[in-house]
Amino acid sequence: MKRPMNKNTRNGRNALNKQMDKKNFKIRRKRVCRFCTSNDIYIDFKNEKRLVRFLTEQGKIIPRRTSGNCAKHQRQLALAIKRARHLALIPYVADIAR
Amino acid sequence: MALYETIFILDSLLPPEEIDKQVDRVKELLETNNCKVIEIDRWGKRRLAYEIQKKQYGYYVVIEFDSDGTAPQLLSNEFNYNDKVLRYMTYRFNKNIIKDRAKSELKAAKETKELEEKIDEKEAKVEPVIEAKKVETAEEGKETENEKTNE
Repeated sequence: MKRPMNKNTRNGRNALNKQMDKKNFKIRRKRVCRFCTSNDIYIDFKNEKRLVRFLTEQGKIIPRRTSGNCAKHQRQLALAIKRARHLALIPYVADIAR
Repeated sequence: MALYETIFILDSLLPPEEIDKQVDRVKELLETNNCKVIEIDRWGKRRLAYEIQKKQYGYYVVIEFDSDGTAPQLLSNEFNYNDKVLRYMTYRFNKNIIKDRAKSELKAAKETKELEEKIDEKEAKVEPVIEAKKVETAEEGKETENEKTNE
């Protein structure tokens, strides 16, 4: 998109925009691990309702970059999901009926 | 010795007596092999997330036990041999579960304590409650006076 150019204020404006972009970027990126905030030590695979939040519609594990989990909890979560899948609490592949 | 847990899914179409038999059989197997069964939790009939051996439902049983390292092998031999078991999983409790349990137990103990204290307080504070009500009524009276002055 083209912004209206103004010779006098152009430089100042660009600098300001850049600053704003940086700020917005940081705000958008800031995600906190849910398990850390709720002070969870162990992620139970028997509670499948909780695990479903971290799965896509197809039943894939949502990556850390989107869910915002910390590495420690993502590892635990992956193990929990895999155990739950084995015991048929969660599907390996969820079919989307079309 | 360490804590273990085994979860197995039985065919839900079996008659209830047969299910009891199967659970007892696993329990006996554990007990004859120097394992201490701590808890047997029956989740009952549940829908499976996907079909196993063309079955939609399964009967879940969870057994927690204390044993040395030989138990998982024993159980897997038993379950593999048994046709009535659709799925099974045995795992050892890691430090996180143990920590989590200790924490939740502490919490529960605290809550019960607090509850007891609250009950005690309530019993002791029967009269002060009435006093508090009186104070409230007095405040209301003041408010009405203020409104009158505003008018």
